[in-house]
Amino acid sequence: MKKIILIVAIAFTAISFTAISTKAQKIVIKGSDTVLPLAQKEAELYMKKNAGKSVTVIGGGSGVGLAALVDNATDIAMSSRKIKMDERMKMQDAGRAYKEVIVANDALSVIVNPQNKVSQLTRQQIEGIYTGKIKNWKEVGGDDMTIVVYSRETSSGTYEFFKDHVLNRKNYASSVLNMPATGAIIQSVSQTKGAIGYVGLAYMTKEVKDIAVSYDGKKFVLGSIATAKDKTYPIVRPLYFYYPTAKEASVKAFIDYILSPEGQKIVDEVGYVSLK
Amino acid sequence: MKRRKLLTITLSLMLLTIFQIKGQENTDTLPRTVEGILNTLDVKNRLKFSGYIQAQYQVADSGGTKSFAGGDFENGVDKRFYLRRGRIKFQYDAAAGEKGWSTSQYVLQFDISQKGLTIKDVYAKFTDPWSGWFSVTAGMQNRPFGYEIVYSSALRESPERGRMSQIIFPNERDLGAMLTIQAPKTSRWNWIKLDVGMFNGTGAPSAGVNTSDFDKFKDIIGHLAITRSTKSERVKWGLGASFYDGGFRQDSSDRYKFGSDSLGVKGFIIDQKNTVVSTFINNRDKTKRSYVGFDGQVSIDWFLGLTTIRGEYIQGEQPADSSSSTSLSSAIQQPSTKTTYTTTINSSTGAATTTATTVNTTSTRYVYIRKFNGAYFYLLQNIGQSPWQAIVKYDWYDANTDLKGDEIGQGVKKTGFQKSNATDLKYTTLGLGLAYRWDANVKITGYYDMVKNETSSNLSGYTKDLLDNVFTLRVQVKF
Repeated sequence: MKKIILIVAIAFTAISFTAISTKAQKIVIKGSDTVLPLAQKEAELYMKKNAGKSVTVIGGGSGVGLAALVDNATDIAMSSRKIKMDERMKMQDAGRAYKEVIVANDALSVIVNPQNKVSQLTRQQIEGIYTGKIKNWKEVGGDDMTIVVYSRETSSGTYEFFKDHVLNRKNYASSVLNMPATGAIIQSVSQTKGAIGYVGLAYMTKEVKDIAVSYDGKKFVLGSIATAKDKTYPIVRPLYFYYPTAKEASVKAFIDYILSPEGQKIVDEVGYVSLK
Repeated sequence: MKRRKLLTITLSLMLLTIFQIKGQENTDTLPRTVEGILNTLDVKNRLKFSGYIQAQYQVADSGGTKSFAGGDFENGVDKRFYLRRGRIKFQYDAAAGEKGWSTSQYVLQFDISQKGLTIKDVYAKFTDPWSGWFSVTAGMQNRPFGYEIVYSSALRESPERGRMSQIIFPNERDLGAMLTIQAPKTSRWNWIKLDVGMFNGTGAPSAGVNTSDFDKFKDIIGHLAITRSTKSERVKWGLGASFYDGGFRQDSSDRYKFGSDSLGVKGFIIDQKNTVVSTFINNRDKTKRSYVGFDGQVSIDWFLGLTTIRGEYIQGEQPADSSSSTSLSSAIQQPSTKTTYTTTINSSTGAATTTATTVNTTSTRYVYIRKFNGAYFYLLQNIGQSPWQAIVKYDWYDANTDLKGDEIGQGVKKTGFQKSNATDLKYTTLGLGLAYRWDANVKITGYYDMVKNETSSNLSGYTKDLLDNVFTLRVQVKF
């Protein structure tokens, strides 16, 4: 009888440990749609290499991911912008320490329809277009054609990064069309002759044409992994992972994998800019 | 055999057709089902249900302590368990319009504690659908003055608002309508906000009281605020300026203001006798109530952790009771030592008739106008990124800035003068606390209020500092 009880106890303990360890190996990542393809690819290969580990990646935008981090509804928040002061304060109010890791860089390409003869713009011209001061392509050396401006929606980290770093924190014009996803911008620009938009380098396709950009009005550079790495292309931003310090043990292996040479190789393959 | 084969093929084709039709139906109904689910989720997301409970154990320096740390202790009681707040809030935001903001919001909030059920907020907010800059909030709501008044008790680090906030804005709320001008979140101008409202001025009516206001005068309250954060998102700061321009009707009580008698003794001199109050209720004089205030906040995220400093200074003219400087919620009937006065209005002529009735009470109440000032300062320091937060708060409230020390309570030498009393004393409070944020829902705070009162050799009971320090251990659970 004692033996039976001992066996049952050992079995229960073993089952409990298995359940705990299985739970610990499950990681949920939420946030930026920009980081989403990279995180998905990294997760896929990480799970292939580490049987029994599960990584679920969900998009929604940087703001959504960071809100989930505050609410303890995700293990990692992906973000294409730095955490805001309000979000920091909310994390503190929730008594939750967190860590920030830059997992890759991303170059933002300014895109137009392939039929558009304009191939370069200064930062000031882009600002003029997005703030509504420049309304026709002929004002920037193009055809006499109304500019149709596309942007990401307001909850997107890309929207905020573009506003802060390209528009110099100036407001988008009310006529700007906010699209729910990068794919929608690519599609709209490819189908509209007078369109302009911005997308992460990883999303670039032949259906759209990218524009060489200059911040000094002299040197115009096209966005690419090479120009982002040598820092000649100016619209480059870091991509972040934020995670609660308390969950470090469960997420560290995955983050270490992304930061490893193998993980960084995937960064370049997916179209982002690796850290080294 | 052939017939069997033919039958099998026919049946198979029939089954395939049925499945194909079924599959087609599924394909057609799936988007509708998903859309239905999304609509339901959208409505559920727009209806928010939140609340919090603050339960606490308090120890006072002495039994029966008069306290602003959650209310006076009962006579002979120096320790108590207390359910300070039990809030339930329902909020519904109408679906966001094409431009991304909701054009109407409805809020209903209750407080449930051992004192019973009280309605805290009942208001509707409407935002213009064209620019999103203009909103009107109507109903029972927070008065838009300063920072501490409108700052949620669930978020505030000290257990209570400062003494001044509790005295000049008891219960924080009032009935009225407020215009807010603020750009939508996506605008570059979102950092500036102006609130201007017209309110009864009597504060939130007590439970079961049907009267919302006792006079025709409405009070104007406003707050202009700016909030900015640096590009690094490591520093956030804000500045604000507030004003209050209001008052109430001078009824059947004498009104006194600060002055000196012929011998230079400071006290209160008659400003208007109740006997000269107009018999026409609409012609009666307004007793002015006016404040101005300035507030500032800064939060810095640095190597020591998040540091926040907040401060607010308010000064003004407070018309209140002779025995209390708390803002009035109803008219003062005086002098109750001899008579009370009842006003009846002729519905056809509007003429008011005041009749005097003798009552047997020894208390005497008048309207006293006092110049006051006060301030509070918070220093909040998170211990690194840990769940611990240190709290230091200092506040003062000087109910009568014209009087100091032994001048208070000094016997006046001339008929018609009233001497000052304990209401005119200045109080300072230093609060020290430590909070532990268990998680996003649970917070435990230990807080010690050290209260110091101004003393006067002319005031019995106030010749030395009172034993009125209070320690509070509070557990807050919010959802």
